[in-house]
Amino acid sequence: MEIVASVTAGLLVAIGIWMLLDRSLLRVVLGVVVLGNGVNLAVLLGGRLDGSVAAFADSADLAAAVNPLPQALVLTAIVIGFALFVFALAVLKRSWELHGNIETDRITAVAEEPAPDLPAEPVPAAPIAGQREVRG
Amino acid sequence: MLTSIGLIAVAMLLAPPLTRWLDERAAWVLALAPLVVFGHFLSLTPEIAAGGVILEHHAWVPALDVTLAFRLDGLSLLFALLISGIGTLIVLYAGSYLSDHHHLGRFHAYLLGFMAAMLGMVLADDLIAMFVFWELTSVASFLLIGFQHDKPESRRSALQALLITGGGGLALLAGLILLGSAGESWQFSGLSAAAIEGHALYPAILLLVLAGAFTKSAQIPFHLWLPNAMAAPTPVSAYLHSATMVKAGVYLLARLNPVLGGSAGWSTILIVIGAATALVGAVLAIRQTDLKRVLAYTTVTVLGQLTMLLGTNTRYGLQAFAIYLVAHALYKAALFMAVGAIDHATGTRQIPRLGGLIRYMPLTGFAVALAAFSNAGLPPFFGFIAKEFKYAGLIELGVVGWITTAVMILTNALLLTAAGLVFVRAFLGREGRYPRHPHEVSLPMWIGPMLLAFGGFVFGAFNNIAEIWLIDAAVQAVARDAVDVKLYLWGGLTPAVAASLLTVSLGVFFYLQRTRVRRRLSLWRVLWRVSGDMIWDRLLKRIFAFATGVADRFQHGSLRQHISLLVLAITGFTLVGVVSALAAGGGIRWPIPASPLSVAGTVGCVLAVAGAAAAAVMRGRVALVATLGASGLGLALFFLAANAPDVAITQLMVETLTVIFLALVLRKLPPLSGVGSRNPTAKRFHAVVAIALGAIVTALLLVSLSEPLPGNIARWYLDNSLPGGHGANVVNVILVDFRALDTLGEILVVALAGLAAASLLGASRKRQPGTAHPPHGQGNPEFGSVLLRQGMKPLSALLLLMSLVLLWRGHNLPGGGFIGGLVAACAVVLLALGDGVERARRMLRVPPAIIAATGLALAAGAGVIGLARGEAFLTGSWIFPGGLPLGSPLLFDVGVFLTVLGAVLHMLLRLLEREQAGDGPHEAAASRPTEG
Repeated sequence: MEIVASVTAGLLVAIGIWMLLDRSLLRVVLGVVVLGNGVNLAVLLGGRLDGSVAAFADSADLAAAVNPLPQALVLTAIVIGFALFVFALAVLKRSWELHGNIETDRITAVAEEPAPDLPAEPVPAAPIAGQREVRG
Repeated sequence: MLTSIGLIAVAMLLAPPLTRWLDERAAWVLALAPLVVFGHFLSLTPEIAAGGVILEHHAWVPALDVTLAFRLDGLSLLFALLISGIGTLIVLYAGSYLSDHHHLGRFHAYLLGFMAAMLGMVLADDLIAMFVFWELTSVASFLLIGFQHDKPESRRSALQALLITGGGGLALLAGLILLGSAGESWQFSGLSAAAIEGHALYPAILLLVLAGAFTKSAQIPFHLWLPNAMAAPTPVSAYLHSATMVKAGVYLLARLNPVLGGSAGWSTILIVIGAATALVGAVLAIRQTDLKRVLAYTTVTVLGQLTMLLGTNTRYGLQAFAIYLVAHALYKAALFMAVGAIDHATGTRQIPRLGGLIRYMPLTGFAVALAAFSNAGLPPFFGFIAKEFKYAGLIELGVVGWITTAVMILTNALLLTAAGLVFVRAFLGREGRYPRHPHEVSLPMWIGPMLLAFGGFVFGAFNNIAEIWLIDAAVQAVARDAVDVKLYLWGGLTPAVAASLLTVSLGVFFYLQRTRVRRRLSLWRVLWRVSGDMIWDRLLKRIFAFATGVADRFQHGSLRQHISLLVLAITGFTLVGVVSALAAGGGIRWPIPASPLSVAGTVGCVLAVAGAAAAAVMRGRVALVATLGASGLGLALFFLAANAPDVAITQLMVETLTVIFLALVLRKLPPLSGVGSRNPTAKRFHAVVAIALGAIVTALLLVSLSEPLPGNIARWYLDNSLPGGHGANVVNVILVDFRALDTLGEILVVALAGLAAASLLGASRKRQPGTAHPPHGQGNPEFGSVLLRQGMKPLSALLLLMSLVLLWRGHNLPGGGFIGGLVAACAVVLLALGDGVERARRMLRVPPAIIAATGLALAAGAGVIGLARGEAFLTGSWIFPGGLPLGSPLLFDVGVFLTVLGAVLHMLLRLLEREQAGDGPHEAAASRPTEG
């Protein structure tokens, strides 16, 4: 089981990263979910899978119980991951409403404001070489 | 001593409101603070003069061995008196000088803030505390120079001063830390000279400390910020940039002279740099036509001379240092204030336009005369004694001394010329051409120069007063060994007197020939063309260009490149960890001790991967939702098979809600275009990156799983859950009891995410007038079926009931606040989908945000119960009414329930509302027909 689960975790992480590298922000957001699932699985695996009964303190055979600590960690991680996901989704939706664009490479160009000006120029005639210009 | 600093700090805080209330009269009240401090230190003078030292300790950061240690000795006392005494006069002066400025209150606050910092700096005995005060003076100076921030020139000068002194401050910090560790103490008074001078790091300490001191005290090549700092209002120039702050560097050198001053390097650097600074300052001074800049450059000269005198470390040199310090502070502050007064009264500071002012401003003129005599080093003023001792101290050095003396004679002659420019040129002779009719200034503006200039005369004429009460103790604090201090005006026909005579005649000659001298100096065009300011500007420009280049390289704005780099770095580091673990453990143990393959678990794994893989390549939005949901369900199945029922239920509920959210949001988004990058090379690269991390994660897991789990934390939780937490569901007990603080933080995050997402989704529960209001009792058209709507009501009621059951039983059986909250959220969402958001909101009665806030308050309140019982925050407390265990962890779980419910609903209802109301400018563009 451990080997299958390890491979699963690796695959989920790989798919998650692949989605993070997509050019559509939507798939990036979904990639966060998949990546989160993979990592959750890995954390649970870190506590080992040995143990044949769930972690209940009133069970007959405590020695056979699974490790409860990673379960507690993963449980909250799932809920927080969900909150993060919804937040990201909200950002995505807002960005679509404001800029009509959800491609990663374009969103920077559309949304980024020009960098605040450098301190008062002693020589106003010559602009500083290489000063960042607004792209897009 | 802390009280003194505190008093001035309080005055600083009071300054703005007081000034709003009393206008310029506030200065009279505010000046009381430094005056009281001055009186306090004056009353301590006899004790210090008798050789006493006053110590004061306050714990500050005990863990780091940083204390607020104060120590008052001769040197500190001298500075403290100068700071508070001149400070009093400056506050008065500033009230008048800037009486019509609308930010006078702010100015007073900055000025007093600086005063407190400077006082702290000279009194501090702790290295780190001293450094903190040191930096505070830099910040205060920045604010004061940039006070007229609407002028670009002011802003530039302020920034320049901050960058130079701040950069030096960084070097100083490093130097002080080395000093502290080498000297085996973090107190100036405890530093061991022997340990430091023999230490291998001595050269580094020396250079770093000198860098700090030289930048602060405007030594070559860092001198350029000081003349530019004259962009500040005149009270600031008089106070910070002549009498006090610029002397901070000199103060530090003097303070460290006993421990660092024993080497030839110290003497050489100080004498060479000091003498060069002095000469350059003097030459530049007489080239100026602005009176204020003349004074600024003479200040540079004096700072150089003070540095040089410390370098001599001779009996006369150190006496000259202390005398000159006082003399200069007195006359220079007086001259600056007088120049400010001239500017105020006549409207100009340009030397060619001035002349004959004594007729209009007799009081100021008298003060300037006294100060200028002291400046020029004429008897019987204090400046004369300073000059005599200076020559005597230098001559003691031998050959080097003679060369330096020659340089100093030239320098002092130029100083005398500058003094002549200030007094003779401005006040005597024929009348100048003024923009407005000159008049004598008001009392607060002439009293300061008068008192200070008179002080220079008194100390000179009755020099035993100064010797007994001030100079002696100060010199002893600076000197490495006890020094015999004896001040005199006339010590017989010594070489020093000859040098003095030469200086005066040369100075008079220069003054008479000043036009010719200036013309001669102007001939060295090459020299003037390469000004420090120009180099500074170029340097700054280069640095900005470089920084922009570097930032552009790394902050290129491409999300995918950022992620790729990050992932590759993580992969690399993990690989190192895995390989070293394998090497240490002698390779992976094969076969891995594996639990039997369960059917449900395997199916779950396959489903999770297949779903995710499909989601990664599918284009259709519905397919995306379905496959992602399937992936999550598979994971839930695996969790169930792995004996983690709580996790499985949570995953299930979250997956349900995820699908709802996705379905709602996706409808308004355009269909996905292609998969991956357009560029095939980039696409391949991305695939490699993703696979690399996936492979390394698998490898990491396999390697760690091949070892048994170290420790027995799991067992501890299992054993203590019932007796300690009164609950059988160990996972839940961990969440609400053992690790409740973590959980508190986590639900806080959930609540915050809910609030943030909801505000992003857009406010306004009120609909825009004119938009269609959905008919009451009807939700989305998708749920138009009566049967469905009718069926939903009992279903959501059932779900709500179930969520409460889950919450209640969670402590002993699968369930708990997180799961209950998610189930309840599902119930309400179901209702909202069927019957409309309005209905759901009405049923809730309380806004979801309030529910979440109540939940947080309950959870935190449950923690406070433990606190109230005298135990740690969140310690569980239990009562057993009728054998039923009730405890604060249960209350905490209710808090978790409400927070999760409130946060999720807050987001979801807002989203649904906007969907149902019809919104957004891009609405029409967005809602294309769904594909897939």
